[in-house]
Amino acid sequence: MRLEISFAALAASGAILAACGGSDTTGDSRAANDAAAGESRVVNIYSARHYDSDRIIYQRFTEETGIEINLVEANGDLLIERVRADGERSPADVIVTVDAARLHRAEQAGLFQPIEDQDILALVPAELRDPEGYWLGFTARARVIAYSTERVDPASLTGYEALASEEWDNRLCMRSSDNAYNQSLLASRIIANGEDAAEQWANGIAANLAVPPSGGDTDQIRAIAAGTCDASFVNHYYYVRLANSETPEDQAVANTVALYAPAQEYGGAHVNVSGAGIAAGAPNPDEAREFIRFLLSDEAQRVFAEVTNEIPARSGVTYDNPRVEAVAAWARDPVNLGELGDHTEAAVRIFDRAEWP
Amino acid sequence: MAVISVWRRRVGLPPVSVILAVTAAGVATLPLLAVLVLAVTGSGADGYLQHLASTRLPGYAANTVLVLVTAAAGAALIGTGLGWLIARTRFPGRSIFEWALALPLAMPAYIAAYGWLDLTLAAGPLGALPTVRGWWGAGVIFAVTLYPYVYLLTRDAFLRQPPHLEEAARALGRSGASAFLTIALPAARPAIAAGLALVAMEALADYGAVIHLGAPTLTVGVLRAWSGAGSLADAARLAVMIVAIALVLTTLERAGRSRARTAGQRSQPNRTALGPGAALLAIIACLTPLLLALVAPLARLAWHALHSEPARNVWNSSLNSISLAAVTACLAALFGLASAYALRSGGRFAAFPVRTAMLGYAAPGAVAAVGVLAVLGTLQSGLDRAAGGIFPVLLTGTVLALVFAYLTRFAAAAIGPCEAALGRIPPSLDEASHLAGAGPVRRFVQIHWPLASGGILAAALIVFVEVLKELPATMILRPFNFDTLAVVAHNYASDERLGQSALPALVLVALALPAMAIVARQAIAPKRIEVR
Repeated sequence: MRLEISFAALAASGAILAACGGSDTTGDSRAANDAAAGESRVVNIYSARHYDSDRIIYQRFTEETGIEINLVEANGDLLIERVRADGERSPADVIVTVDAARLHRAEQAGLFQPIEDQDILALVPAELRDPEGYWLGFTARARVIAYSTERVDPASLTGYEALASEEWDNRLCMRSSDNAYNQSLLASRIIANGEDAAEQWANGIAANLAVPPSGGDTDQIRAIAAGTCDASFVNHYYYVRLANSETPEDQAVANTVALYAPAQEYGGAHVNVSGAGIAAGAPNPDEAREFIRFLLSDEAQRVFAEVTNEIPARSGVTYDNPRVEAVAAWARDPVNLGELGDHTEAAVRIFDRAEWP
Repeated sequence: MAVISVWRRRVGLPPVSVILAVTAAGVATLPLLAVLVLAVTGSGADGYLQHLASTRLPGYAANTVLVLVTAAAGAALIGTGLGWLIARTRFPGRSIFEWALALPLAMPAYIAAYGWLDLTLAAGPLGALPTVRGWWGAGVIFAVTLYPYVYLLTRDAFLRQPPHLEEAARALGRSGASAFLTIALPAARPAIAAGLALVAMEALADYGAVIHLGAPTLTVGVLRAWSGAGSLADAARLAVMIVAIALVLTTLERAGRSRARTAGQRSQPNRTALGPGAALLAIIACLTPLLLALVAPLARLAWHALHSEPARNVWNSSLNSISLAAVTACLAALFGLASAYALRSGGRFAAFPVRTAMLGYAAPGAVAAVGVLAVLGTLQSGLDRAAGGIFPVLLTGTVLALVFAYLTRFAAAAIGPCEAALGRIPPSLDEASHLAGAGPVRRFVQIHWPLASGGILAAALIVFVEVLKELPATMILRPFNFDTLAVVAHNYASDERLGQSALPALVLVALALPAMAIVARQAIAPKRIEVR
């Protein structure tokens, strides 16, 4: 009975949709289905990214290969749920997310097939991809310490751990712990120091907050410049964007704030990736491989570095963005990113207990 | 189907409206049922709910209460005060404010939150003010954007109260304030309660504003359980709690509404002219909420839009937003009308689907979306098994899933106005037309439609505005290559490019404002239909 009602609902709304002169989006789905018939080549991309750099890359990919791109963009969890709900007939070819933990989760849910082309995998350093090749990172970002150049002596900075000490009491701004970037950072602390130490650390950070969390990473950087607090954890590209900006206000902010990445002896910088995998039931697996290969091409890697200030996953790519080059040279936490996903749930539980809002 | 024929026999409705009313209820409740099933049968992360109950849950609950109470108190104060001012006094600009005061409903709370936090951060232009954040910040944002629900209903209630009661109290030596508090206010209480229920439901379902302002409510908890702990089942369990709260609010709203309606007939307005000083104060009182809800955040966005490179794709996403909102508005009005007919026929049996449809309104968008995903996933595999894949992939191929989710959330918003529009047509007219031998179709075309079309249009436009503003369900259920204004604005904002998100946000509000203006003008139009 339930099925009947919902079918009646769909049929009715479909009919009325046509009657109301609804927008015609069926053209796109036709394009998606035509691929199987071999009329034109397409690749269907489910992406959690939504940057202008990606649009440039999609356009060039289509120009160079003749493969059309169909795109859905949404937050990573919803995206994974959608692929799951699509079921066997999911049109998804490539799934892109902005966080290794999400990739790991999608892999655990059986949504990926392994990338078997060794030449593609070999382009990416081992710690930035799944050991079994289910997904790989194509750009990296560092989550490091932003500090006030007016009130903090960079020589006094060591690792992430030090910010939990009493000398930072009432001097930190942090983004909400609902944010996936903070969850991954804490997951990396769990791997480095164990759960108990990580929990103490999170408690210490929460106790040192000068203001309750609000806004995004850029807001934390601005708060440091405005004197609300002295340090925070931010993704490097938000700072680089302000520093590379032509707006005087942004430059003024960047001039009084700097980034510090923990040196190797303090564990190195925490990095995470934007990564991609080929969907288990991909209707266009060849095009999907071609697309992933293109993401790792010189051309695409350069666009990521120059337009969104991300670190290219491939080493040896040349690009014009000295600030990103400097970030790319930092020592990194050597953990394999797939491991982060194993500890995200524990990280969230620690955050819950730590009263880091 | 047997259910329908039984119902038909009992209430004697034309089949079309019965089928539509049941369909409306089905569309509104099936996804919520799917969430309930998920909550009951799904396997959650090991002990996560107990863990949450001993850690975050009290905080979420406290924030929810604080945000809702602040929003309700603020909305009650602003809405009731302005409702009385407009209904009972006369001052320059009153007739413009009468409808303009409803316009803040066109402002998505998350956009107001972006604007206000940016304005009042330490480095912002209004940095000297306390920073708008936390539970009180979120409460204030909801109060100034949602008070029109209370304003519209209380204004109506004050118009229905015979003005001579208050005058008599004053003649007997009561002060104006005391007459207001002891006579006017108690009589308006049901209307205030009904308005506040709507305010609370919308604030309860919000995610964007509370997360940005750092006031995590239960809705944030749902998303955290899902994305942080990776447990959809636990997220569903929390969502069921939210829907349960909504159930209580819905009951309050309906109780308030029905008492409000029986509270009296509208009388001829008999307004006290205000002296120059009082008139100035009245004008300031009317301008303040408009300034807080619309002018200040929009001016900040406009400043950002002028100081950054233009966002891409604004034109296409405008067209997408408009067509989606228009299609959904058409359907919702149809469902609303059918439900209103079902209600007009009376009986518990008719009221049930309508009441359940109200629940969708308080379901957070992401929750409704998960429900729709589950329903469509089941439907798809059923269809594929039965027909071997001749049907297109429902989710990715069409806007059907999206329209489905919108109707789940917003059909309820259309039912109220349609019900009100039909309610104003005296049943004696129906009897007269019946005696004159007119069938149901002719009765509708020649009698009901001309009298109720304004209210039905208002119902459609309310849904139009809601769909323009909707974000989470749109994000996940849209087909390939399909952006809307809310999605584009959100994408830039979540990438912390407030400047580029400003233009799509401004266009969104610019589209919603005229629609809201028509709704408001319709809502304040004289409602009594004279039968001679």
